[in-house]
Amino acid sequence: MAVRVERRMFTSAPWGLLAATLLTAGIGIYNLVSASRPPNHPLWGAQSAYLAIGLLAVVGVAAFDYRFIQRMAVPIYLLNIGALVALKFFGHTAKGAESWFVLGPLRVQPAEFMKIGMVLMYARFFNDDYRPGKEGHYGFLRLAIPVLIGLVPILLVLVQPDLGTALMMVFTAATLILFARVRWTVLVAIGVALVFGTGVLWNDYVRVQSEPKFTVVRHHLKKHQDGRIAGWLEPQTDLKGTNYHAMQSKIAVGSGGMTGKGWKDGTQTGLRYLPEQHTDFIFSVWAEEQGFLRCLLLLLLYAVILLGSLGVAYGARDRFGAFVAVGIAAMIFWQVFENIGMVTGLLPITGITLPLMSYGGSSMLSVMIGIGLLVNIGMRRYIF
Amino acid sequence: MELGRNTEGRELRTRFLWLGGFFLLGLFVLALNLYRLMVVRYDEFTALSTDNQFKDVRVRAPRGQIKDRRGEVLVDSRPSYDLTLTPAFCQKCFTDVLPQLAELLNWDETTRAAIEARVRAAHGPQRYQGMVVQVDLDADERDRINVRLHLWSGIEIEKVPHRYYPTHDALAHALGYMNEVTQEELVRLNAGKSVERSPYSLGDYIGRRGVERSFENTLRGRDGARKEVVNARGEVMRDQPTNFPEVQARPGNSVVLSIDARLQAEAERVFPGQAGSIVVLDPKTGFILALVSRPSFDPNMLTGRVSSQQLARLSRDPLQPMVFRAVAEHYHPGSTFKLVTLLAGLHSGAFTPNTTVNCPGGYRLGNRTWRCDLERGHGPMDAHNAVQRSCDVYFYRMGDVIGIDAIAKEARALGLGAVTNLSIAAEVPGIIPDTGYHNRVTPGGYTKGMVLNTAIGQGDVNVTPLQLAVMYAALGNGGKVFTPQVVRRVESASGEVLEEFAPKLVRQIEMSPEEHALIVAALKAVVHDPGGTASRARLKDVVVAGKTGTAQVMRLGAVRLKNYQLPYLERDHAWFAAFAPADDPEVVVVVLNEHSGFGGREAAPAAAAVISKYFELKRSDGSAFGPGWQGPPVVKPAALPIVPVAPPTALPVPEPAQLALPAAPPDAGRSQLADVPGRPGLDGALPLNLVPPPAEQVD
Repeated sequence: MAVRVERRMFTSAPWGLLAATLLTAGIGIYNLVSASRPPNHPLWGAQSAYLAIGLLAVVGVAAFDYRFIQRMAVPIYLLNIGALVALKFFGHTAKGAESWFVLGPLRVQPAEFMKIGMVLMYARFFNDDYRPGKEGHYGFLRLAIPVLIGLVPILLVLVQPDLGTALMMVFTAATLILFARVRWTVLVAIGVALVFGTGVLWNDYVRVQSEPKFTVVRHHLKKHQDGRIAGWLEPQTDLKGTNYHAMQSKIAVGSGGMTGKGWKDGTQTGLRYLPEQHTDFIFSVWAEEQGFLRCLLLLLLYAVILLGSLGVAYGARDRFGAFVAVGIAAMIFWQVFENIGMVTGLLPITGITLPLMSYGGSSMLSVMIGIGLLVNIGMRRYIF
Repeated sequence: MELGRNTEGRELRTRFLWLGGFFLLGLFVLALNLYRLMVVRYDEFTALSTDNQFKDVRVRAPRGQIKDRRGEVLVDSRPSYDLTLTPAFCQKCFTDVLPQLAELLNWDETTRAAIEARVRAAHGPQRYQGMVVQVDLDADERDRINVRLHLWSGIEIEKVPHRYYPTHDALAHALGYMNEVTQEELVRLNAGKSVERSPYSLGDYIGRRGVERSFENTLRGRDGARKEVVNARGEVMRDQPTNFPEVQARPGNSVVLSIDARLQAEAERVFPGQAGSIVVLDPKTGFILALVSRPSFDPNMLTGRVSSQQLARLSRDPLQPMVFRAVAEHYHPGSTFKLVTLLAGLHSGAFTPNTTVNCPGGYRLGNRTWRCDLERGHGPMDAHNAVQRSCDVYFYRMGDVIGIDAIAKEARALGLGAVTNLSIAAEVPGIIPDTGYHNRVTPGGYTKGMVLNTAIGQGDVNVTPLQLAVMYAALGNGGKVFTPQVVRRVESASGEVLEEFAPKLVRQIEMSPEEHALIVAALKAVVHDPGGTASRARLKDVVVAGKTGTAQVMRLGAVRLKNYQLPYLERDHAWFAAFAPADDPEVVVVVLNEHSGFGGREAAPAAAAVISKYFELKRSDGSAFGPGWQGPPVVKPAALPIVPVAPPTALPVPEPAQLALPAAPPDAGRSQLADVPGRPGLDGALPLNLVPPPAEQVD
């Protein structure tokens, strides 16, 4: 493992991306000060520490050439799979899900790192499996391995159960596979699958049926998951029960208005109408207190990060780097989209954090490792 | 070698554009949705957020006081320290908190189980409302709990206003009491929204009986409202003020009675028997100065503090403490009624004051003899002597000559036989029999003997003590029949007079000055002359005019028994009705002492004591009515504000049919207690072995 430092590495590092990341994380801490104001336990100190650790991780990950990581992709992937399996046996159960390892005072969420492991594995696979021209387009048969690469960790995450992360991994994997180019037959198949999925959703949730109801998937879901999908499709029902979160979150966001209620003046936040307001629902705090315009600012920052990531991918010196960067961009995009979509009632409620804004060490660390990889790829684009 | 440029990755380039476009599209969708929520639907969500955040809290209006004519407080609110428990916040409720409370407050097992069951039964939003676990903690209990309060959550001691009746049993029927509004009343009373009146809610108290009931809307005031910030758990955030202005509660108005608390106390003190009534009123205005009804009850107990045992004891008591004897119970007036007969006789033209009737000790009609009280007879009697000595034969003769309808007409003119329209209580109208009445009610119809019983206030004649007081006021003041009133005025909480009640003259009866003079002189003689029946009512410095009455409850058998030889409920009622000073009366007193015997002995002394106290108070106050009293209103018949009085009907509340006696009691000569409907239990508890009535009436 060679740590080689050259002047060019600094000039070609993605500074814009880094700046946007730091700015977003700073906004996140500022927002946490308000979200965890008394009588809550203040969390911004811990979050700052996580950010510091994250920055160290950026430096650490960016320090050595990512070709070393390329070599280690398979062991990293397998190690993460192992961790997820081990979680089944040694995991800590909280809020009905086995998602955490408890190491002394720290609670580690392996799924957060699995995402990175999966992206690295995909990048390694698509790099090694490269065939130029039309030949390279993936048909059904050749898709077996990439699908398997995604399917194993996704299933392991799904059974925790962590629907939010699993969904986000599905979307990330799909983005990567599509980015690697598939044959049009596969596209048609995906289209058919989407139509079919919509049909199932319509059949299970929307269609008015007489008893006994014929459902395809619904009876396999856990009760809270079922309730969330039902609540998402019928947002005005059961506002004190399954739709409580969705409604309170929409109230918080909607009552923010153009300019917001002011920092630390959000009533939905201050009176604790939203559980999980410092983690999964952190965006509702920002929206309620800061208003629509600053929400646009936040979306703009995410856009800078995403386009910066794509820029890194575009300029990467090899196929592996490009796929890692695209994977990380997809990861961040889907997480942002799922989280804000859920907070604003566009998507059903699934547990997923908002990158750089939500409180939590594992989430912060996994995003920063991703950023570290982007920096690594970006600064070495002229190094061969 | 850069991916975007080299041959190996060239085909990726368009895909970057696609992907970048897709990301931006995703963020644009999010932004669009945010715009929809935060800008387009802003008002809707702001309203919802406000709903979330604020809870409307009712600020209870303090209820008005009830005062006596001098401003002494008769009914007030006092703080009650109630222990409340909020189930949602009560941690280790069943394992720690309730057992400890049970020990501190000495709950027995059933009490504790009942409270536990109530706490367990709370569901949903109820869990966030404090429930009252024990009312009226005393200082000791408060201390014991306060010491441990910090160890528990969800337990609070709340200071709430509670109605307090410092006079306890005295005046209870007139003041009334309060208890919780029922579900059915809630629906009825809250129907039809009124800005002036705030709606009742479950757990509110409402006035029952007396002034508390009739002046409910006056006393109640209007509740205010305030918003409180609540968090998601329903906890009130006291440190977070709201910007909403508080709607101030408007305190209830006070009701000032015409009662003089000192005179009331004296009347209560001197009341001689177990059951009965004393009515004291001002004959110049009809305002009531004191109103005793015995036995009584303690409104403090009935106002939300009554146990089922206490309630059972109240309703099982054969003396029926809840009955307002001054107005809601009627009795034979006995000899006090003879003045009605006298006036009717004089008005008939058949008798003059000097007409003499010889009393041989009895009066023969057909084949029966009606006895006079004095077996050896009074000898020749004129009007004055007949009243003074209470000679029955004189009035038998008078009734025989003028007929029952003439007596009934006179009685009705004097206000008997119809409710007096005292605004604060449901009354019975009493009974004034006439031929029509007897034809309707008595088996066999009217017979000539009935007029003899009626003439001396027996038979079917029934009056309430208040009616008798109104009648004696009219006799004393020269024939003015007033509507009796107990409320003088309504004051705001700050003491400003809002409404003043004027005397209400019902009618001026036909009574010449000569007749008036005759009656006053005769009634004076009853008290002050030798041979009068009420020498025990004599006072040193005041001339009292009065009339005794001894009303038979049972018709007498062949053997004449002494009073003490009879069971309690068969003994005679003692009456005394008086006014003083005789020539220009300021005060009328009627005493009824149930089942006690002779009126001159069992009722007259109490009346004398009340009259004596009245003049003692008058001397000490400098005027009759104490400080703040601008002298008695000058009552000239012409200048008097005459409020037209509706034809006497029973008060609308409660159902008049229930309280007014049916026109046809099955046996009007029987004990009234057994006859009054709505008094179950007596017949069973105290069987009255009625002797078939031999037609003989004696006073």
